[in-house]
Amino acid sequence: MRSYWLKRVLGALIVLLVVLFLNFFLFRLMPGDVVSTIIDPRFSPEAKAELRKQFGLDSPLYEQFFRYAKAMVTFDFGLSFLSQRPVWEELRSRLPNTVFLLGSAFLLSAILGTWLGIHAARRRGSFLEKIVLLAGSVSFSFPSFFVQLVLLLAFGWALPLFPLRGSVSIPPPEGFAAAFFDYLWHMTLPVFSLVLLGFGSWAIYVRNLMVRTLGSDYILLARAKGLPERRVLWGHAFRTTLPPIVTIFLLALPGVISGAVITERVFSLHGVGTFLLEAILGHDYPAAGAAFFLLALVSIFCNLAADVIYGLVDPRIRVGRSMEE
Amino acid sequence: MRKKLVFFLLLLAAFFATPAFCSPAGFDVESIRGPRIKELYMVIHRDPDSQILALERGKLDVLGDITRPVDVKRLAGNDEIDLSVAQGFHIFFMGFNLRKEPWNSLALRKAVAHAIPRQQIVRDLFSGYSTPISAFLPPASPYFEPDVPSYPYDPDLARSILEEAGWKWDSTGRLVPPGSDRPLVSFRILGPTAQAAPTTMEIARRIADALGKIGLSVELEPLDFSVMIRRLDVHDFDLFVMAWSLSRDPDNLFAFFHSSMDVEGGYNIQGLHDPEVDEVTERLRWAPDKKTAEEAAAKAQRLLSEKLPWIPIYSRYMITAVRKDWKGLVSSEVTTTDNLWTLLSMEPVSGKMRPVFWALSDEPRSLNPLSSSSAYDWQVLGLIYDGLIAVDPYTLEDVPWLATDWKIETVESQGGPKTRLVFTLRKNVKWHDGRPFTAEDVRSTLLFLKENNIPRYYDSVRDIESVERPDDFTVMVTMGKTSYWYLHNIGGTPILPAHILELAEDWKSWQPMRTPHPERQGLTMLVGTGPFVFSEYRPGEYVKLTRNEGFWKLPEDLR
Repeated sequence: MRSYWLKRVLGALIVLLVVLFLNFFLFRLMPGDVVSTIIDPRFSPEAKAELRKQFGLDSPLYEQFFRYAKAMVTFDFGLSFLSQRPVWEELRSRLPNTVFLLGSAFLLSAILGTWLGIHAARRRGSFLEKIVLLAGSVSFSFPSFFVQLVLLLAFGWALPLFPLRGSVSIPPPEGFAAAFFDYLWHMTLPVFSLVLLGFGSWAIYVRNLMVRTLGSDYILLARAKGLPERRVLWGHAFRTTLPPIVTIFLLALPGVISGAVITERVFSLHGVGTFLLEAILGHDYPAAGAAFFLLALVSIFCNLAADVIYGLVDPRIRVGRSMEE
Repeated sequence: MRKKLVFFLLLLAAFFATPAFCSPAGFDVESIRGPRIKELYMVIHRDPDSQILALERGKLDVLGDITRPVDVKRLAGNDEIDLSVAQGFHIFFMGFNLRKEPWNSLALRKAVAHAIPRQQIVRDLFSGYSTPISAFLPPASPYFEPDVPSYPYDPDLARSILEEAGWKWDSTGRLVPPGSDRPLVSFRILGPTAQAAPTTMEIARRIADALGKIGLSVELEPLDFSVMIRRLDVHDFDLFVMAWSLSRDPDNLFAFFHSSMDVEGGYNIQGLHDPEVDEVTERLRWAPDKKTAEEAAAKAQRLLSEKLPWIPIYSRYMITAVRKDWKGLVSSEVTTTDNLWTLLSMEPVSGKMRPVFWALSDEPRSLNPLSSSSAYDWQVLGLIYDGLIAVDPYTLEDVPWLATDWKIETVESQGGPKTRLVFTLRKNVKWHDGRPFTAEDVRSTLLFLKENNIPRYYDSVRDIESVERPDDFTVMVTMGKTSYWYLHNIGGTPILPAHILELAEDWKSWQPMRTPHPERQGLTMLVGTGPFVFSEYRPGEYVKLTRNEGFWKLPEDLR
């Protein structure tokens, strides 16, 4: 058991080390740097050289690498090239919106999608199943910016029920409760748009899993034994489909952060997705390095968490237990 | 087509009929007093679609830099919104790599110039809100020279120019250089992708089609912006399309065309080496007075139009939309309403004061006046900090600001002639924290910027030899060389308070907006003399500024 976890942690460390190297070298392989994107005839080549010196880009690559590696392992990511503010501060100011937006949208789509998927599988050919199939194809075929812009136009402009931008009214309301409800009001449309775009794929995935499971012999046996339908559905069929659902849930989690870019842009939200995109496009090495390093950490953590949760949701999976036992 | 024509006529009507475009004869910008508004929210609004929706819904009052024809068309038909259109300083062109054959052939470049249908490109892609150009400075520039050789669209003339110069065409219609039997290979036009500049590649495609008609095979190569700049920096290209947003001074012609600027990362991207151009751009760059500068600028433009190191294509109008709830807006043929003068004089039509919501199309980066080069930072900082000289929105001439008067003189010294600037400072100016503004602030700012080699100000202050303050309200700046442009370099530099500057330990990581003022509660270290005081920055949402109640230009009734 102990050697299993040791292997897993060692594997995770190796992955992290590879990410550390790739993060450094991939960004530097891109042509140009943060200074070369400044094109202004009032900014002479000498002024650009001063700026490169200021960012430490004039020192040899190995020195830059050691500085970068130290920054990553000590979690002291330094100053962003673009904003000249500490990277941590930048991330901290953006995390609440991203976590709320993606966390709630992801959870709501997963819960709604799973619930719909299960019931669609139970009632094959029903209206509910048709809705699930339609929602699935919509989420796969419609570009998110289009759906979000239509929603913004419909409920922010034509029927102005929701704000057009941001996470706070300007000027902001006074008092905690008013500010809290103002925040919820601002986040409703972005979260709703993501749920609308996301629940269909969950529902289809779960439906397909459940259709296969409900057709299994042991489900037939459970029903033949006279078990209540609720127990058959949730206690037997759903429990068996949980491991792949958990896997998908945890492995999709880091990916949704990068998917936040468009939503943040359409609804003018201050989030990590936009930060990541700007850092890459602007050659902001400290910001991009830190963001990808943290994303890698979240991915690795989610992988480990998936392993642990596997055992919890499926009693047949136990590390270190042999087949004979 | 009819719709386009109607829209174009509407736009022209807006251009000439808006009160702001009436002749400003007798109008004295110095008489403008303000600010009259109490609160200004600069709302961070990135998405262009939701910017338009917010403006229409009254969530924004002022939206500048509107570039998409579809938006202009939509807003032009809105009764609640005024559009202001100005010529601006934008210039879009196609550049050649003159270091390589065949682009070092002047005849070929002239033929190319005649082969490009500028009028049609502008009409089709910009619905008329851009103007085709032949000059090397934008039409809004006070130094714009209209009397230069032009190259109207005429493919037949293009072919005859080539024929006269000994060019031929092979049996498939491909162009064959003089003295050769082999036709030219295919060339590539570098340009940014549609994501970075939506219309650029479409223009490049039309240029490629037009050049195909005179036997030149040209393909498009859209690139990520930084990759494109890198290719240009190392001179790895045949042709490129690009745009500059220039300033009112023409001395950037030196940066663009002087042979000394043909270095890696230099702005003489095309690699022009021409003694005549070198001589005239040097004269322009180091002109001791305005008259010499004007003559040199005119000659440089004429010369460049003959040598054609670029093909100027068009200049985009600047367009700003303001809700009609506001009056006292200032604009002209060369300045849209989103300017400092408007912010000073605007007030609500209803008479009931409320905050102004001004769109900021991107996040301010750091709000550090020392390190920031971001235009969005400076949209905010420009209202907090002042320079010695301001710019007249009608004539683009210098107008007194923190300096009431100035002299520019050439003094002889052992090292040769030098420019000396003598500024007389305004006496009733106070910093936001109540301390008086004096010559020591100007001296400290200029020396701080020079001693620290701060990149943003590097070119403006590097030639400073000495800064003296004979008294509290006179500053004498002696430069190492002679140039009329030093007046704008020094006069346009934002002045910081000496008593705050000495507290900035590390200018790079200095965060003045997050550091409380040492004496005045409620203030931060973002202390200037400008019309607005920094109040709050909420990342991703807005920057809030309030009226500087001690501003020297505040009208008597508001004091």
